[in-house]
Amino acid sequence: MDRNRLQHQVACMRRSLFDQGYLDEPFIQLEELQDDANPNFVQEIVTLFYTNSARLIQNIEHALNSRPIDFNKLDDHMHQFKGSSSSIGAKKVTNECTVFRDYCSAENAEGCSRSFQQVKQEYAILRRKLEVYLQMVRQAAVSQTA
Amino acid sequence: MAPGEANSGNGGQILKPFTFNEIVLRNRLTALVVDGDNFCRLLEQGILQAYGLETQSVDNGDAAVELIASGAKFDLILIDMLLPILDGLEATRRIRAMGVRCKMLGVTAFSGERERQAFLAAGVDVFVEKPLGPEILIPILRELDEQYPSI
Repeated sequence: MDRNRLQHQVACMRRSLFDQGYLDEPFIQLEELQDDANPNFVQEIVTLFYTNSARLIQNIEHALNSRPIDFNKLDDHMHQFKGSSSSIGAKKVTNECTVFRDYCSAENAEGCSRSFQQVKQEYAILRRKLEVYLQMVRQAAVSQTA
Repeated sequence: MAPGEANSGNGGQILKPFTFNEIVLRNRLTALVVDGDNFCRLLEQGILQAYGLETQSVDNGDAAVELIASGAKFDLILIDMLLPILDGLEATRRIRAMGVRCKMLGVTAFSGERERQAFLAAGVDVFVEKPLGPEILIPILRELDEQYPSI
């Protein structure tokens, strides 16, 4: 694929990630942190986000499966996940985390379980889209230096 | 599309372009980041370093209090509310009780008015719901920079 077409595709995909509400302004701040001194910053921070998220999701799942459910601990884990999701600009994931926390404060176990499925779904969708997008960004960068 | 420009999901509103060059600090400001989440801690440090600050970080409230008690001085402290070992509210109280008057930002994923009042009452100067953005940080950094006399 020629260089211009690749760059155009990258720009379109980036625009759609924002237009469709998957990403928000904090992601732009991350992109601005990337420079010649830190050329892979976005990929590195996103990878760290995946690792961190996997751990938090596991903690939440464990807390949800415990009997009795410790809603305080559950809320703490989701609070952390909401914090890191919002920091990367993962808008839809953050919104679902807020819904979950409402159920949690009402100690509604069924609501928490349902809403957690939504959190995981949004996270999985975002992760897939980011992986595709960042791969295209890398391809475009390689074609630029070629 | 220029870096920093995008259409948000809000009916095509253009997001304000942003660059870390919007502010150039004359002084080498120092900051402490206190966050129990590895990702958030590294990200906040990265952001502050991009602005030109020298940073340290700890992952719990007790370590923050101990660091300050040992004599470490900072122009700015970013502290989360939910922290292991010693929570952010109590850590903030103890830091202020030591006579520390530097700017403290309570940066947290909590968004309720009750949490805001509690954090402000504990001693933070500004309550910030995560994520910490340039619209909050830049004016604060300018203010801190101007506290130092011009050469």
